[in-house]
Amino acid sequence: MTAFFQSLGMTYEWAWFTSTIAGILLIALPLMLAVAMIIYVDRKIWAAMALRKGPNVVGPFGLLQSFADGLKVFLQETIIPSAANKGLFLLAPIITFTVALLAWAVIPFNSGAVLADINVGLLYILAVSSLGVYGVVISGWASNSKYPFFSAMRAAAQMISYEVSIGFTLVCVVLWAGTFNMNGIVLAQQGHGLGFVNGFFFNPLLFPMWVVFLISALAETARAPFDLTEAESELVAGYQTEYSSMSFALFWLGEYANVLLMCTLNAVLFFGGWLPPVEWSLLYYVPGWLWLFIKIFFFFFVFSWIKATVPRFRYDQLMRLGWKIFLPLSLLFVVLISGWLMLTRYGV
Amino acid sequence: MIQTLAFYLFAAMVIASAALTILARNPVHSVMWLISSFFNAAGLMIIIGAEFIAMLLVIVYVGAVAVLFLFIVMMLNIDFAELRAGFMKNFPVGIAIALVLLAELVLGIGAYRAGALELGVPDGSAAPILGASNIENIGALMYGRYLFLFETAGLILLVAMIGAIVLTHREQRAPRGHQNIAKQIARQPEDAIVNTKPEVGKGVQL
Amino acid sequence: MELQASLSLIAPEIVLSLSALALLLIGAWGGDKTARMNSIAACIAIAFCFAIVAPRVCAGVGGPDAVAFFGQFKADAFSGFAKLLIYAGSVAALLIAPNYLERVGAMRAEYPVLVILATLGMSIMVSAGDLLTLYIGLELNSLAAYVLAAFVRSDSRSAEAGLKYFVLGALASGILLFGMSLTYGFTGTTNFNAISTVVAGGLSGGAMFGLIFMLVGLAFKISAVPFHMWTPDVYEGAPTPVTAFFASAPKVAAVALLARVALEAFGTQVDAWRQVVVFAALASIIVGALGAIGQKNIKRLLAYSSINNVGFILVGLAAGTAQGAASMLLYLAVYVAMTVGSFVALLMLKNENGDQLESISDLSGLRSVSPVLAFCLMSMMFSLAGIPPFLGFWAKLVVFQAAVDANLVVLALLAIAASVIGAFYYIKIVKVMFFDQPSGVVLGKSDGVHWALLIISTLVISPLGYLATSWFGDLAQRAAATLFLLS
Repeated sequence: MTAFFQSLGMTYEWAWFTSTIAGILLIALPLMLAVAMIIYVDRKIWAAMALRKGPNVVGPFGLLQSFADGLKVFLQETIIPSAANKGLFLLAPIITFTVALLAWAVIPFNSGAVLADINVGLLYILAVSSLGVYGVVISGWASNSKYPFFSAMRAAAQMISYEVSIGFTLVCVVLWAGTFNMNGIVLAQQGHGLGFVNGFFFNPLLFPMWVVFLISALAETARAPFDLTEAESELVAGYQTEYSSMSFALFWLGEYANVLLMCTLNAVLFFGGWLPPVEWSLLYYVPGWLWLFIKIFFFFFVFSWIKATVPRFRYDQLMRLGWKIFLPLSLLFVVLISGWLMLTRYGV
Repeated sequence: MIQTLAFYLFAAMVIASAALTILARNPVHSVMWLISSFFNAAGLMIIIGAEFIAMLLVIVYVGAVAVLFLFIVMMLNIDFAELRAGFMKNFPVGIAIALVLLAELVLGIGAYRAGALELGVPDGSAAPILGASNIENIGALMYGRYLFLFETAGLILLVAMIGAIVLTHREQRAPRGHQNIAKQIARQPEDAIVNTKPEVGKGVQL
Repeated sequence: MELQASLSLIAPEIVLSLSALALLLIGAWGGDKTARMNSIAACIAIAFCFAIVAPRVCAGVGGPDAVAFFGQFKADAFSGFAKLLIYAGSVAALLIAPNYLERVGAMRAEYPVLVILATLGMSIMVSAGDLLTLYIGLELNSLAAYVLAAFVRSDSRSAEAGLKYFVLGALASGILLFGMSLTYGFTGTTNFNAISTVVAGGLSGGAMFGLIFMLVGLAFKISAVPFHMWTPDVYEGAPTPVTAFFASAPKVAAVALLARVALEAFGTQVDAWRQVVVFAALASIIVGALGAIGQKNIKRLLAYSSINNVGFILVGLAAGTAQGAASMLLYLAVYVAMTVGSFVALLMLKNENGDQLESISDLSGLRSVSPVLAFCLMSMMFSLAGIPPFLGFWAKLVVFQAAVDANLVVLALLAIAASVIGAFYYIKIVKVMFFDQPSGVVLGKSDGVHWALLIISTLVISPLGYLATSWFGDLAQRAAATLFLLS
């Protein structure tokens, strides 16, 4: 894109600057739109599974429901509890929202269509997603209220616990792909399964890691069945209890952007990203970003499905799963995979 | 140009955040400034091309260590008035130490400027592989030349882990109702549900 | 410099790490009932390492053949000699602990694991050929030691000792690291031999600072004055078997490490560090002797005694010659025997309930209650004081001889004078045991392991020990010589 702006007569620096800004907008704006629609989809799927109709009033099939909701919260008054720590109280939703957008910088939407094609793309994602916990923890503390505080404590413990196993599953992927670069990881999956299937999920050593990743992703985004941070039966609405209007909306947007990110990571890391599902030249006529979107949508459906069907975990079960099952399992697979690669690829 | 700007931005932010870490009245604010300081330090690492270290700094310090700090600080009720009471008492000592450090700094910089300090020439044992990314470089050194030390460092972490468990773990005397998850999952509807068609007024025998 | 060759040189360290991991797993699954069996297994593992190292020491291996991992690790006879002493101290700590810890309800499966890991750390320390190895080994040992000091959780003194040790130890590590970074910055290398080549032409101011900071950090670890404050508190608070361990093996390791830094990395600049070492030596001897006089608790007294002894060891280092290094090794050997013996004797002082006695007044009239114990403890005290028929005298003699040969006559004279002060409190204990009215509180029975260890260490330091001096002195001489071999 830089070259295009340069051809308009800009200097290199200006062209780079403009193209980067344009790139950011190109990702962020559709993402926000997608989040609005995905909230609608989530409610629809959930309703369908509960044999309800779901939103069906605003717009055709209720399609504009999210926008109506957005307009409503936008027009509401922001209420700050008098005992709250004002600065941090307002900072928390901003952090959640910003961090949810940051990670998209390294996601490849097509061959070479990535905002920042950096060497350490996957590490960047890990780094950014580890920041997500701050929004929750700070909001919980700054609200100066009992339920948000409990929720913050739970969130801190939960996210750190599952980040560990996520880290190890990512290490497995990186070992096999041989690079931290996201595009490199996608390309490494080309024809991975018998020279025909695109995606690491086809690999018997990586498939269990995908399962671990999927479940950890649910815990990391605090989706059901791991939504203990906002368990309405115990904590009212968790860390969001004291929030209203736009600050509340920012939490929601951030949360769903994170869910979409996790779906995207599932697609990019284990299901071939923008590659077609199988290696067949005809399928390459479909643009890569469409394949990616189909995969993302599929995983989002899985997430909604789980949310609609699986009961909430108890907190000690959550910790047990994270530390006593996923951590040893993912460690074992790091050893197995590196051993296998040493044996076959690098030759001992 | 952009690098210079970015450097001064990050460097100024590191120093300002570090200062605010000490000056903030609220311990939670202190931790937040500390996080900001880590973050900007990571930015400095990126400027010198050490992107791997930068990411690790964020993942490890910001993502894990500082969260635990925050966790603890939020749990504790630190009375700052009490802490401050001791502050005035130790103030002269603090000033003295600060002056000594300042003098050392000035002398050090002065000596360096005057060319009196001769830094050693690196012996090249950790020279980078040109053209390789810095993950590859670090990996090659850690698993090559410094393999022994790297593995031993792992043992140190193991000791720390054993230590934490030894000093804090207590066997629960009466464990809570034990849950056998495998048994729960293995339970089928047929094991639990019986369909019967009782006749009117007969009731059901279970 | 193949990996295989390097691995064969670190065989004892590999054995130690693998056994630590295996015992940890056994302990994790088997629970605390495996503690006793684990201790025995740990002793066997360490004995195995002893068997690997011993032939290398006898052969006096040194030079390039003994260097592993690009000069980071040196398996020469000097480190081997120190390792043998360390292993002996560790085995003693493993053998005497189970009975004590079981009585206070703190014998857990992790104890032998932590002792092995501490031993591994020390083993790496004495073999350090690089600043990084030095630090890694030191931290491995220190971290395990902090936990061991606080091992009896139910005892607040033990927790206090652990915390104190940890905070001050971390400070010392920080100082050491600072010194190391300065040294690296001004010499451009972390390798000991390379450092000595760089500083041969002259020591720059920065490197000088680095050296001093490193000496300070290490002085902390060997509890040399003026960095000894933690010693009495930690020794008193830590469980007695652990104190016995602290007083023996880590001292050997830290002293050997100090010798490596001073003689190997800065061996070309002896004058730069000699004054510091001389000061620390004299101050340790004097403070150790004076501080011990007022003590009522035997563990505190032994802590000051160890400070005092470190002073004498540093006299050997101050000589800066191969002879000095050899005398240090010999002193350390005798010191380990004396320390282990004294602490075992201390462990055997129990009242009728089997509780430990730690106060000096409890010793009164020990002669009439348990003459053998009293006699052994007397030998220990006389030996620590350096009174002739016992081996402690010979150890002091070789150290002074090395100092005199290196033209440090004044230092030797002052040290001799100060050792007379030290003799006072050692002899006071003997007087309490043999001439005071029996207090009648020492009644408890001791088990065979304690008796065996006590008798062995008494035999070692008894006049019988002189039979081995020529062979032993020769061994130490050859071991020390490898420190001066260029590789």
